[in-house]
Amino acid sequence: MSLEQARKRYLPMSETMFYILLSLREERHGYAIMQHVKELTDARIVLGAGTVYSSLGKLEGDGLITVVREEDRRKIYIITPLGRGILREEALRVAELHRSAEGLL
Amino acid sequence: MKDKRTVLFSAFRHVIPADYESWLERMAAEGWHINHFRQWSSMVVTFKRGEPKKYRFVYDPQVSPRKDYIATYEQFGWEYLGRMASAHFWRMEYNHERPEAFSDSESVVARNKRTIFAVSVSFLIFLLLDLFFAGMLIFFPHSLSKTDRTQIVIAEVFFCILTILLGAVMLLIRKNEKR
Repeated sequence: MSLEQARKRYLPMSETMFYILLSLREERHGYAIMQHVKELTDARIVLGAGTVYSSLGKLEGDGLITVVREEDRRKIYIITPLGRGILREEALRVAELHRSAEGLL
Repeated sequence: MKDKRTVLFSAFRHVIPADYESWLERMAAEGWHINHFRQWSSMVVTFKRGEPKKYRFVYDPQVSPRKDYIATYEQFGWEYLGRMASAHFWRMEYNHERPEAFSDSESVVARNKRTIFAVSVSFLIFLLLDLFFAGMLIFFPHSLSKTDRTQIVIAEVFFCILTILLGAVMLLIRKNEKR
């Protein structure tokens, strides 16, 4: 998928996608992603098995993440340069939201 | 006391996936358990009596799951119960917080859309049968004997009813796609 197509498909991004991509800056399998996100968000977001499974399938199919290797039927993923690019653009958007929200708190 | 309970057409009585899950959960809470789903479980399903349990069930249609599908769910603590046509079933015992396999509204809607797609396949098959029988009655009425005609009319009515029912099921799931 080209960067342009990926932008259309993923930006703005759901929290689920954002945190999965963020977690995959390091190699992780599905369950480890859930644990990592739970820790990062203080258990506000607890990803479900079905959500993780289908999100990983979608991200892999579109080339935002890739399989590094398999361990006992579990796939281990990592983010691709395309995924990093999209994650960065989303981060810029979130930073803008953050600036706009300042003063409300 | 009987220790088996058979339910016919369960998938047609609880057509919305979330309702089917809740029904299984109520059955388990009363001590009625199903440990394995099969291809035709939507038609006939048999529960065995046991201890009442607090289970969360998940109904997940996946036509051709990737090979890490089962391992992913199992790692999250789900127990695989098999598949009923393209719908895979999972359960997990819980105490306080009811576990969710679909943790955001996007994936709940996607699950329900996959269900609608699965129903639409049968819908189309029945629709084609309707058209086929209607076509025979309209275009070749004289080359059919009277008994043939009667049989075809009965088949036509039968498949028409099924088509309408499946259409209604799709609309109902669509209306409730957020849960």
